[in-house]
Amino acid sequence: MSFFASLREKAPFLDRISETFTPVLTRDEKFKLEYKLPKGENILDDINADLSFLHPSTRSRNGKSPVSPKAQQMAVVFSGKVYLTPHFILFKDIFDQSSCVLILNISTIKRVERSPSASYSCALLVTLYSGTQILFQFIGLKYRSEQFCELLKAKLRENIPNAKTLPKFLDTCYSEFLIRKNILGLKDTQPPRAGLGQQFKYPGNPVLAREKAKLRLWFEYFRENGRHLSLMKNPTFHKLIRVGVPNRLRGEIWELCSGSIYLRYANPGEYEKLLIDNKGKPSQAVDEIEKDLKRSLPEYSAYQTENGIQRLRNVLTAYSWKNPDVGYCQAMNIVVAGLLIFMSEEQAFWCLNNLCDIYIPGYYSKTMYGTLLDQKVFEAFVDEKLPVLWEYIVKHDIQLSIISLPWFLSLFFTSMPLEYAVRIMDIFFMNGPKSLFQVALAVLKINSDDILQADDDGMFIAIIKNYFQTLDQSAHPDSPDMKYRQITKFQELLVTAFKEFNVITEQMIYQERSRHEKTIFQNIETFVKRTQLRHMPRTFHLTDDNLSNIYDIYYNSIESHKISMGTGSSNMNFDIFVQFLSKICDWCKPCERDSDPAFRKQKSGFLRRLFDDWDTASIGELTLNDVVSGLDKLVTPDLLESINYFFSLYDSDNDGELHREEVLQLSEGLLLLTEPWKSGRYVDLLTKKSIEDDIAENIAKEKIIEETNNGDSADISMEQIELPTGVTVDEEKYRAEQAERYLKAASNFLQRSFEYAQSLDIAEEVDLIDLSDSDDGETNQEDKLQKKKKKYESIKANAALDPTHPKVIDLATFRMIILADETYELFFAKTFRLSIHVDESVQSDNNKNNALRGMFDGILADGRRVAEQVRRRVDSVATRNSMSSVDSQTGGSLQATVNTDKYDDMDDFTSDQQLEHEELLNNPWVDVDDAVDGKEPVRQERAIQALPPQLADHDLIEFEA
Amino acid sequence: MNSAVTSIKLVLLGEAAVGKSSIVLRFVSNDFSENKEPTIGAAFLTQRVNINDNTVKFEIWDTAGQERFASLAPMYYRNAQAALIVYDVTKPQSFIKARHWIKELHEQANKDMIIALVGNKVDVLENNEDERKVAREEGEKLAEEEGLLFFETSAKTGLNVTETFVAIGEKIPLKTAGDQETDSNGVAISDEQRIDLANSGNAAGQTAGCSC
Repeated sequence: MSFFASLREKAPFLDRISETFTPVLTRDEKFKLEYKLPKGENILDDINADLSFLHPSTRSRNGKSPVSPKAQQMAVVFSGKVYLTPHFILFKDIFDQSSCVLILNISTIKRVERSPSASYSCALLVTLYSGTQILFQFIGLKYRSEQFCELLKAKLRENIPNAKTLPKFLDTCYSEFLIRKNILGLKDTQPPRAGLGQQFKYPGNPVLAREKAKLRLWFEYFRENGRHLSLMKNPTFHKLIRVGVPNRLRGEIWELCSGSIYLRYANPGEYEKLLIDNKGKPSQAVDEIEKDLKRSLPEYSAYQTENGIQRLRNVLTAYSWKNPDVGYCQAMNIVVAGLLIFMSEEQAFWCLNNLCDIYIPGYYSKTMYGTLLDQKVFEAFVDEKLPVLWEYIVKHDIQLSIISLPWFLSLFFTSMPLEYAVRIMDIFFMNGPKSLFQVALAVLKINSDDILQADDDGMFIAIIKNYFQTLDQSAHPDSPDMKYRQITKFQELLVTAFKEFNVITEQMIYQERSRHEKTIFQNIETFVKRTQLRHMPRTFHLTDDNLSNIYDIYYNSIESHKISMGTGSSNMNFDIFVQFLSKICDWCKPCERDSDPAFRKQKSGFLRRLFDDWDTASIGELTLNDVVSGLDKLVTPDLLESINYFFSLYDSDNDGELHREEVLQLSEGLLLLTEPWKSGRYVDLLTKKSIEDDIAENIAKEKIIEETNNGDSADISMEQIELPTGVTVDEEKYRAEQAERYLKAASNFLQRSFEYAQSLDIAEEVDLIDLSDSDDGETNQEDKLQKKKKKYESIKANAALDPTHPKVIDLATFRMIILADETYELFFAKTFRLSIHVDESVQSDNNKNNALRGMFDGILADGRRVAEQVRRRVDSVATRNSMSSVDSQTGGSLQATVNTDKYDDMDDFTSDQQLEHEELLNNPWVDVDDAVDGKEPVRQERAIQALPPQLADHDLIEFEA
Repeated sequence: MNSAVTSIKLVLLGEAAVGKSSIVLRFVSNDFSENKEPTIGAAFLTQRVNINDNTVKFEIWDTAGQERFASLAPMYYRNAQAALIVYDVTKPQSFIKARHWIKELHEQANKDMIIALVGNKVDVLENNEDERKVAREEGEKLAEEEGLLFFETSAKTGLNVTETFVAIGEKIPLKTAGDQETDSNGVAISDEQRIDLANSGNAAGQTAGCSC
C-alpha cells in the first residue's frame, strides 16, 4: 500500500541515468509518504499495542468518572502498532489498516497517565485537548513498553512549546467550529476564514448535493473519531469522501488527506513571512504569474474581483519563492484557483506544497519531466487496459497527450465543470495520483465507441469535450428502467474509474514510471542540451563538438543540478570550477605537489585569477556561458593572443604594465602551469621530437650498418622500415632533459623580466645572469637540477624583491621575453592549448596519458613519422656517402635541410600564424631567437650553452635599441 | 474546382505572449480578445480555406509559449508540414527565441517543412513607430537566410493573418481528386469551431483573453 515514491526523494538516484532506477526508499521514507507526514518525522520507536478510543460523549453517558471499566469494555478495541515520531503518535491496525489509522499530533495531548492493567504489561491513558481519551495498552515485554514510555515522555516535554500555538490553529479548522457550535453550544462562534466559496458561493447546487445532510454526517464522524490533528481514519472516513465532501469542509478534508495540515501546523507564519520578505521583488515567475492571474477559472465570479485575484497572486508568488526550482508553471494558476475556492490562502499554499512534492512531483518542474513521464505511463495503461482503442489511436496517429495532458497537468480543472472536478479532487487527495489515471482511463473507456469513429485529433477532441460538458446528463437516457435512467454520466464515470480501474495501483504506476524514466530523461537531457548549446555565446576557437563536451563536463561537475528535472542552481562556484578544470586541463589535475602548501596556494591563486576573469557578472559564480567564453580565450591558437591573455590576467589594474609584485605572481603562475611538464608527467612537443629523433637515429644507424654490410644502397620505402617493438626508452633521460629545459625557461624568464624591466640597473642584474650551465654540461643531471633550483631561488630573492628598484614590464617586453625562450614560446603556441582537452568527452576523459611511457607507445603507434625520419636519415647518409666522394662540403648543408624539415614537421601553425610569425620576426629583438629557431630543438640547448656570452650580449643590445 | 481536400498539419511556435493563439483565433474565427486562458500543453483547431480552387484544411497545433513547455514541443511538431514561428515586433527577446525555434526545426523537424517567420503585433506600431524593436529588415534578412516565408501581422487588426496561411498553403503540394481520403471530410466537427482543450470545461460565458 505504499504510496508511490516521491520523485524528490528519488532525485539523487535518478540523476545518474546509468544507475538503478529503482529508488530504495527507507522504512522512514515509506512511512512518511504513506501517512503524508512532514519531513523530519522519522520513526523513533514502535511497539505493539491495543487501542481504544473513548470520546467525550461516551464518557458523559457513563458518568463523570474518566474511564470506567465498563466504558473500556464497551469501546472498540483495535490491535495494532504504535509509532512514535518527533511530533506524532501514529497507530495503525495490524490486521486491516483501512479499519483504523490514528494520527495524533503530540501537542494535542493534554495529559498522559498510567492506567492500571492486569492483562497488559503497561497501559497509558491519553487525554486530548478536547477531553477525548485514548487508551494504549502495550503488548510485549515490560522493559520495551517502559522504553517506549520514556521516549514518549521526552517527546511530550519537547512538544510543550508547540502546544501554545494549538488554540490559534484550532480556530482555523472548520471541524472544530462544527463541534464548538453544536456540542459546546457556542452559538455565536464565527466559522473560520475559509475559501472564496464562503463569500462567492461554492460551485454546484447545495440542495441537490445534500450539503446539510453530508455536513451532519461529518459532524458525527468528527465527534466520534476526532478531527484535524487528532483524527482516526476508519472506513467511514473514506466512504464519506466518496459520496462527496460538503463544500464548507472540503478545504479541511483536502488538507487532511494531503497531509498539508501538518505542514501548516508545524510552520505557523511561514506563509506570511514569505510574502513579506519577498514583497515587490521581481522575478521571472512573478512576471509569468501576473500574466495568468486573470486567466484562471475566469468564469468563477471571485476571479473577476480584486479580492480573488489577490489571493491567487499571493499563493502563487509565495510558492514561487518557497520553491524556486519550480517557480511558476502555467496550469498551477488553475489548480490554485480551484484550491482557493475551498481553502484559505495559507491552507492552499501548504496544500500546493504537498501537491507538488508528493502527489505530482515533476509535473510543474522546469523540464516538466513528471508530466512527460506520466503521459508515457498513461499511454502504457491505455495500451494494456484498452487495447482496441490504443490500436486505433496508433493507427490513426492520434496524439493522445493533446487531450490527456491537460487532465493531468490541471487535475481536470480545465476539462470538467468545477463541481465535478472538485469531486475528482476529493478522491485524488484521498487515494493519490492513481485516481488521475483511473479517471482518465474511464473517460476513454466510456467514450471508446465514439472515439473509434474519430479519425483525427480534431474529432477525438470534440467527442471528449462534448462528454465533459454533459456529465450531469443521464448515462442511459434511453433505458426503460427509471432508476437506471437517473444515473448521471458523472456517477457512471466514478463507478468506472474507481471500480473497474481499481486495478491500477500505485505499484503499477511506479513500475511503469521506472520503465519509461530512462527514455524520458534522456529525451529531456538531449533537448535541454540542444537548447542550451544554441544559447551559447559565439566562440572563435571552440567547435560545436568542443562545446558539447564542455557542456557535459560542466554539468557533470555540478552535482546539485539535475538537468532532466531542471532543479538546483546550474551556476558554478569556485570549488566546482577547480574540479571542472581539473577534468579538462592537464595543469589543473591533482598531482603529488598538491601536498605542498605553497604549491597549492600558487595553484589556487592562479585559478582564482582565471575564475574572477571569467566571472563577467561579478557574482562569484560562473555560468556555462562564462566558462565557454573563458575556455575559448584559453585555447586560442594564436600565439600572441595567448601571451596577451596571460599577461592581462596579471595586469590587475589594466594599465598595460606589470609591476614587480605582479611579475612575481605571473612567474609563479607560469611555474604552476608548466609544472606537469617540469615534473615529467607530460611531454611537450620538443621532447617528443627529441625522442622521435633518437629512435629514428638508432634505427637509421642499424639500417645503414645493414646496408653497408649488404653493400646494397637501394631506396628504402617506408614499409621497409620496421619499427622496433619493446624498445625501452631512457625515460629518465628525457624527463630530466625536459625538466631542465623548463627550469631553465623559468629562470631565464625571471632573469630577463628584471633585466628588461624599465628603470633597471643593468650592471647589478648582469651579475646575476649566470649561464654557467655550459661548464657543467657533463656533470650528472641531479646536480644540475639542484643548482638550477638554487639559482632560481637566488635570482628570485635578490633581483625581484629589491624594493629600491621599481620595475615595470609592459606587454611588448613580456612578449619578447616569452618569445626569447623556445620552451615558453612553444608553451604559449601549443603546449598550453593542447593541455586543455575540450575535444574529449566525459567518458574518455580519464587516463589520457601523455606521460613518457605512453608517449613512447604513441610514437610507435604513430610510426609513420618516425619512419619518415628514418628514411630521411638513411637517405641523407646515403647521399652524403655518395656525395662525400664528390664534394665533402655539401654534407653540412644537407644536414641543415633535414633539420629545417623537422622543424616544419613539428610546426603546424596555420598560415595566419605564419604571417604573424613573420611579423614577429621583423621585430628586432626576436633576432635572438631566430638564431635558435632554425636548429633542431634538443640540440638547440647545446647551442645556447655554447654561446652564452654572445646571447646575453645580444639581448642587451636589442633591448637598448 | 478541385474537390480534393489537402490537409496541412501546421504548428505554431514562439515565445510566450507573442500572440500565437490570437493569430489562430483570428484565422479560424476572425475574432480577437485581449484576455484568454493560457494554453496548457497545446490546443488543436482546424480551418478550411480555398487556395487556387483547391480546398486546404489546416490542422493547427497551437502550443504553449511558456519556456518550460518547450520540451513538449517535439510532440507537436512531429510530422508537421508547416510551422509558424511567431515573434513580437516590440520584444527583441522574442526574436532571439524565434531564431532558436528556427534552428530547432531545421535540426529536428521534417526537412520539407514550410516555415513562416511571423512578426506579430504591428498594430502597436501604428501610433508609435518607436515601439518597434525588431526592424522589418532584420526579420526579412533572417527569413531569407533560412529560407522561410516572412510576414508582419497583426492578430488584432487581422493584417496579413490569412495571407500567411494562404502563402503556406500555396507552397504545399496539393492533393489531386484521386488522393482524397475518405476520412478527411470533417463531418463530425464544424471546421470553424475552435477546439481548445484548456477551455473545454469552462467554455460557457468566458471572457477569455490570451496574451500568448
